[in-house]
Amino acid sequence: MIRVETIHREDRSIALVLLDRPDKRNALTPEMLEALCEALEHAPNSHDAMVLAGEGKLFCSGFDLSLCKADPSGGAMRSLLTGLSRACTIMRRTEKPVVIAAHGGAIAGGCALLGGADVVVSDVHAKLGYPVTKIGVSPAVSAPFFCLNVSQGAARERLLLPELIAGTLAHELGLVHELVDTNEEVRTRSLDIATALAGKPPHAYAATKRWLNTLEGSDDSPLIKLALETSLSLTGGPEEQRLLAALGL
Amino acid sequence: MPKLALLDIQGPVATLTLNRPDAHNALSIAMLADAHACMDELEAIAERPESPTVLVFTGAGRSFCAGMDLKEVIIESDPTLPQQLLESLARLTFRIRNLPFVVVGRVNGAAIGGGCGLVTVCDLAITHEDAKLGFPEVDLGLCPAVVAPWLVRKVGPGRARKVLLSGGLLSGAQALELGIVTATVETRDQLDEAVERLVEAEAAGGRAALRATKELLNTLDGSDDLDILLQGAKLSAAVLATEDAQNRLKARRK
Repeated sequence: MIRVETIHREDRSIALVLLDRPDKRNALTPEMLEALCEALEHAPNSHDAMVLAGEGKLFCSGFDLSLCKADPSGGAMRSLLTGLSRACTIMRRTEKPVVIAAHGGAIAGGCALLGGADVVVSDVHAKLGYPVTKIGVSPAVSAPFFCLNVSQGAARERLLLPELIAGTLAHELGLVHELVDTNEEVRTRSLDIATALAGKPPHAYAATKRWLNTLEGSDDSPLIKLALETSLSLTGGPEEQRLLAALGL
Repeated sequence: MPKLALLDIQGPVATLTLNRPDAHNALSIAMLADAHACMDELEAIAERPESPTVLVFTGAGRSFCAGMDLKEVIIESDPTLPQQLLESLARLTFRIRNLPFVVVGRVNGAAIGGGCGLVTVCDLAITHEDAKLGFPEVDLGLCPAVVAPWLVRKVGPGRARKVLLSGGLLSGAQALELGIVTATVETRDQLDEAVERLVEAEAAGGRAALRATKELLNTLDGSDDLDILLQGAKLSAAVLATEDAQNRLKARRK
């Protein structure tokens, strides 16, 4: 369900890391996140840049909630939250460029993944957001990354309001860096950007990325750990179970 | 030898002008020293009741500031020059930001690299739509570590990441969209009128209120942290000294 293709452009090698579960709108399972982390960790060794994209109609619809509903202990939810936090951290820490092609939609855990990228591309009609409090899940896990991309006021609104926003507003807020008109254009534009970034002098790119991580505190693992623990603290609880049980899955 | 940075004070409005128009006001150690001398004067009068409310910061000629002077960052005779230049720039940005006056950038043309960094230090800035601004440091194998903290404060970490890692240049209109400048005018000849209007509006405000507000904003966003800038100067100098960066700079000079 995670596939890596190598795209050769100019004299550069781009790893196209694909969420490949289109029949389930690329809903994330613990195994997918494990494989995604592995791909994100290994791709920089043999590629100049990475593009994370999804097959099918949208980038990612979030966690596979049917797994969470079937596991009242909260174990599946815990694996998903931990894997998500790890994937974002790996993207931030890798010294190679990471572009996310968020076509169509990036919802809940799918939207949280955007926080790890250097550049996010989406389309005007895409739906993005964190409608997770309504299923008893705290989006705290993604807050350290999300707050870097949008103002603190907007982050508060987006993390507390369980609604989706269009690509245009996501772009205005800073969650998306580049916006194209149609979802078909998103991947091509992302590959263009990754190719351009891959052509930058690698040591300068790496030094600048490390320095930005330091300045913005995204290398501050205690904060990322605290955010994950906040989300984990609710897993398997009565509220989450009640709200998940009410979902028509 | 003419001064490379000029200070003019007219009532509530002071003007600091980078004055190397033949070199597009490129940042040299000598020009930075003259700019520091202007800061000495401004800091000395800052607490006087008749001191200015607004500082206009601009460049002589057709550019605001073209960035670091290549002659001083290509390591030939004295390997300490880049570090001196970058540390002086870091200290200058800190001093400009921490003046108790509202600093208005009159960005009269190209503002590149460290020059664009100086724009982001200003409280407010106006440029024209086809001015060239931006941070092409990564393209030259450099790390814009001194200006990064200012850009992060100006436009937020997410947009700063995209801008600094992408390199290249922006038009004035794109700089406005990103929040690097406060406003644009269509053409350069409309700049003075727009700056004048903005300065008048600022100078008419309560002096104590503006000072207190600016001081608080500086505390809130960490603008009073000199150490991070000096750390940035060291990092930037280290990357600049690498063989790759030096080769790219030499190719650029040719």
